[in-house]
Amino acid sequence: MDVQVIFFGSIIDITLVDSVLLNNCTDLDSIVNDLIERYPALANKKYFIAVNQKMVHENIKLKMGDTVALMPPFSGG
Amino acid sequence: MSNKKPSSIFVSGPIAAQKIAEDIQKHSSKVSIGAHSIFLGQVRADEIDNKKVTAIEYTAYEEMVVEKMAVIRESFFAKYALTCMHIYHSLGRVEVGEICLFVFTSSAHRRDAIDACNEMVETIKKELPIWGKEICEDNSTVWKQNN
Repeated sequence: MDVQVIFFGSIIDITLVDSVLLNNCTDLDSIVNDLIERYPALANKKYFIAVNQKMVHENIKLKMGDTVALMPPFSGG
Repeated sequence: MSNKKPSSIFVSGPIAAQKIAEDIQKHSSKVSIGAHSIFLGQVRADEIDNKKVTAIEYTAYEEMVVEKMAVIRESFFAKYALTCMHIYHSLGRVEVGEICLFVFTSSAHRRDAIDACNEMVETIKKELPIWGKEICEDNSTVWKQNN
């Protein structure tokens, strides 16, 4: 099962790419654990998570084709 | 609710003063309007570790901004008696002294336009997934933080 993860702002300074495709991730917690394994600096980073453009604040199940976004605090304007 | 696809607020690069003037002019035919309120955000030459900021480069999660903005827009029209509301935000590089945010609210009486404009500026800064990277004179960069 593929889930696309996209990164924004200062998160990209850590990942050095703006997206990755992860498989075998059935929920949000497993995605976060997988990402911290790949990019250890993420563990100390403050960010929000959106799934399919909606903010999510707890662990949820993911389905094929979902897009997960890691977003640092906003600084528009 | 209309079926119109929500439009993007983004402008590539700075927002030209000419565009702001033209947008004001366009409203002269809407004669029920008695008040406009306008907020303009301008890129400031901050100093970071003794280095001057020369520009800000903006990026955004554009699809999410469009979706969020549609919801925010609807809540503003429910809360305030607005005739219309226009919002533009820059994407990409904006030099110091150039305009990066343009909020324009119009109503029959001043209170609604002024209050909606003020609240919209705060909402944009707090709720929209947009990020500014400050670029210094030696090309080093610092991610902008909103207060």
